[in-house]
Amino acid sequence: MAGKASGGARKPLRGGKGAKALAPAKAIRVGVIDYKDVATLRKFVSERGKIRARRITGVSVQEQRLIAKAVKNAREMALLPYAGAGR
Amino acid sequence: MHQYELMVILDPEIDERTVAPSLDKFLNVIRNDGGTIENVDIWGKRRLAYEINKKSEGIYAVVNFTSSADATVELDRQLKLSEAVMRTKVLRAEEAIAMVAAAAKLADEKAARKAAAPAKASKDA
Repeated sequence: MAGKASGGARKPLRGGKGAKALAPAKAIRVGVIDYKDVATLRKFVSERGKIRARRITGVSVQEQRLIAKAVKNAREMALLPYAGAGR
Repeated sequence: MHQYELMVILDPEIDERTVAPSLDKFLNVIRNDGGTIENVDIWGKRRLAYEINKKSEGIYAVVNFTSSADATVELDRQLKLSEAVMRTKVLRAEEAIAMVAAAAKLADEKAARKAAAPAKASKDA
């Protein structure tokens, strides 16, 4: 886990007090992940429509899996763009 | 019998007032099989994130129902045959419902704990 500490350089982590920066300050909290809830899912995709990595979102493995699935379902129903589509 | 959630994107050129009745006609497949329709939610016209069939808009509708697997597959097949239907998605809703229930329970417990020990709860939060 500590081996990938350099990955934090991509995005400034909020409240990066710990030297090893384990989780990005428990970034985004979500109760229920639903593919219809576009506003919530937008937080987990980049401007280009890519799903954000777990080291950036800071959610648990289980949640990240649910989020990835929800984003993909939302893409199929044209609620979210596919990566690489716009721009 | 299982709980399902169906989402359909309909052609934006059809009249929005005809959406509910025509959707209901499709849902008769479920009723005739002994299933029940819990909720029909028509979102109305919405911009698509990308074009489907050269159209940039679609009429969205979400239906929650309980039915057998066979009737569900048949419903999906019939929807896909229709010209007015641009896209469909059928999902089993059990997990989603369980997730909502779990989140509600967690929130309840948190509220209860906060009420029981307000001093400690504020520190934890």
